[in-house]
Amino acid sequence: MALSEDDVRGIADYARIALEGDELTEMCAYLNDAVAMLEPVLAYNLPDIDPTFHPIGSLSNVMRDDIPDTGRALGIEAALGNAGSARDRSFRVPSILGEEE
Amino acid sequence: MAAIDTLSAAQIAAGIAAGEYSAVEVAQAALAAVDARDPQIQAFLQVTPELALAAAKRVDAARAAGEPLPPLAGVPFAIKDNMNLAGTRTTCASRMLETYESPYTATCVQRMLDAGCVPVGKANMDEFAFGSSTDTSAFHPTNNPWNTACVPGGSSGGSAASVAAGMTPIALGSDTGGSIRQPAAFCGVVGMKPTYGAVSRYGVVAFGSSLDQVGPFGRTVEDVALAMDALVAGGSDPFDSTAQEVPAVFAEHVGASIAGKRVGIIPAFMEAEGLTAEVRRAVEEAARALEAAGAELVDVDLPHLDAAIAAYYVIGPAEAFSNLARFDGVRYGYQEPGCTTLAAQSSLSRAHGFGAEAKRRQMLGAYLLSSGIYDKYYYAAQKARTLITEDYARAYEQVDVILMPAAPRTAFKHGEISDPTQMYLSDMYTISINIAGNGGMTVPLGVGEESGLPVAAQLVAPAFKDERLIAFGSALERAVAATPGAWGAGVADAERGGRLGAPCAPAFAGKGGELA
Repeated sequence: MALSEDDVRGIADYARIALEGDELTEMCAYLNDAVAMLEPVLAYNLPDIDPTFHPIGSLSNVMRDDIPDTGRALGIEAALGNAGSARDRSFRVPSILGEEE
Repeated sequence: MAAIDTLSAAQIAAGIAAGEYSAVEVAQAALAAVDARDPQIQAFLQVTPELALAAAKRVDAARAAGEPLPPLAGVPFAIKDNMNLAGTRTTCASRMLETYESPYTATCVQRMLDAGCVPVGKANMDEFAFGSSTDTSAFHPTNNPWNTACVPGGSSGGSAASVAAGMTPIALGSDTGGSIRQPAAFCGVVGMKPTYGAVSRYGVVAFGSSLDQVGPFGRTVEDVALAMDALVAGGSDPFDSTAQEVPAVFAEHVGASIAGKRVGIIPAFMEAEGLTAEVRRAVEEAARALEAAGAELVDVDLPHLDAAIAAYYVIGPAEAFSNLARFDGVRYGYQEPGCTTLAAQSSLSRAHGFGAEAKRRQMLGAYLLSSGIYDKYYYAAQKARTLITEDYARAYEQVDVILMPAAPRTAFKHGEISDPTQMYLSDMYTISINIAGNGGMTVPLGVGEESGLPVAAQLVAPAFKDERLIAFGSALERAVAATPGAWGAGVADAERGGRLGAPCAPAFAGKGGELA
């Protein structure tokens, strides 16, 4: 079933991408085209095949001692240097809980 | 003396070691070539003369002090702009990261620096590596050095164009679905995507974490081998848990005999819809050249490859959405001003920071990972991945490598393919090995009879047998060097003198970059 503009609005909300102007209509057309292109993969949802999530099958977690790596840890200045807004030692954000005005 | 574009990385390093010219002279020549050529190519987003000259001075000082020089000492290189290098911006060709200063240096870049390479600049790319043309860069397109009306391919189009235009002998790119091999084909240079896990991705901005791999471009197979040795020489990387130990034996396989080896041909790939006659003929000739060098051609069947594009465009966007969720405008990246809530700030920062294709891929990924849809597509794609990987494993029981086209056609014109889903089909020959994880390499075969643009073959090898690509690539390179007129009327065979490897694109050869 084709995705409606309402569906696409919901996906955009989930993806945290505000679609503006004609973008909603264009995105709706694109997503329907793209999903149609993916159709051949549905034939592979076979019960006796294991999925491969990763090309290196034997991969295991890499552990290290739980001590700070002071050589690699970013200093405060470097860590905050690329932020749009910062205050003292922190990233600064607008209200997390507040209603939009 | 010669212009820098007539020398390979190996020759430059040897010339510096022998004192024929200094590393600073080479760096100045590379920067002069960029000055003279890049206004028409636009391969670079940032040129780094201070870093280049400082690195070159270190090489010259080491030589003056009688210290042993590393293998690529003084060789200029370009770096795809999704790789961090301290002292540069890392923009991913996106407004989102337009002012992002690299907080540290990626392992792959550091290893090239450790091998003595000199960083000339950060190369243009499709935004966040989403594309096959480099036209989705937020800053400017890059032009193909063989015909500036055409795209260089993508997403590592700036890296490929820098090498093809002779501005740097080598460059680093990354390949998630063909982003090294397809631009290498379009620009007529060698480009290797090593096996997933062969090269560390620490410090490279992630796109598809189960698909991404870093690799080198060069005009000769030997230069790509030397760059691969530099990339793996430091062993695995504790900062990338997927990085494996890979022996630095690539250069040893340059020119190795392929007599008695077996080369797989996938008949369905050679008859595929969309493959142009000139590319098919070139790949068929390449197969005959390998046969003439003593290899045996064997037909192999990979029955599930028809699912590769669909599987890729499930797995890739899903992983991209998950990776790019970090760009919320808080810790780094574009921040929309004047927002009263965090939610509004995130969605507007992402709306205005990302370009159209980056938004499309993330929207597709968000849909595919949403409740109810995930089970249907994502599991199916990962099961198709199992079958594609098994197909390759079966094929490698019969053959040492597989030969196929790298791209179905030569470079297209800017704007020629405007439908995004049509653009995705240009990855038809490259995508399946990102899914299976094994390595592949594009080898240029000269220019096509109809288009006059570079045509190329792709060699594919079993996982962690990437050195085979060097041996078979060398054999193809020798065959091309022995073919009169392979590079078209603009490249005189007499001047080439049977020299191995791709020439600098003729319109840019000798333009700036003279070694004094």
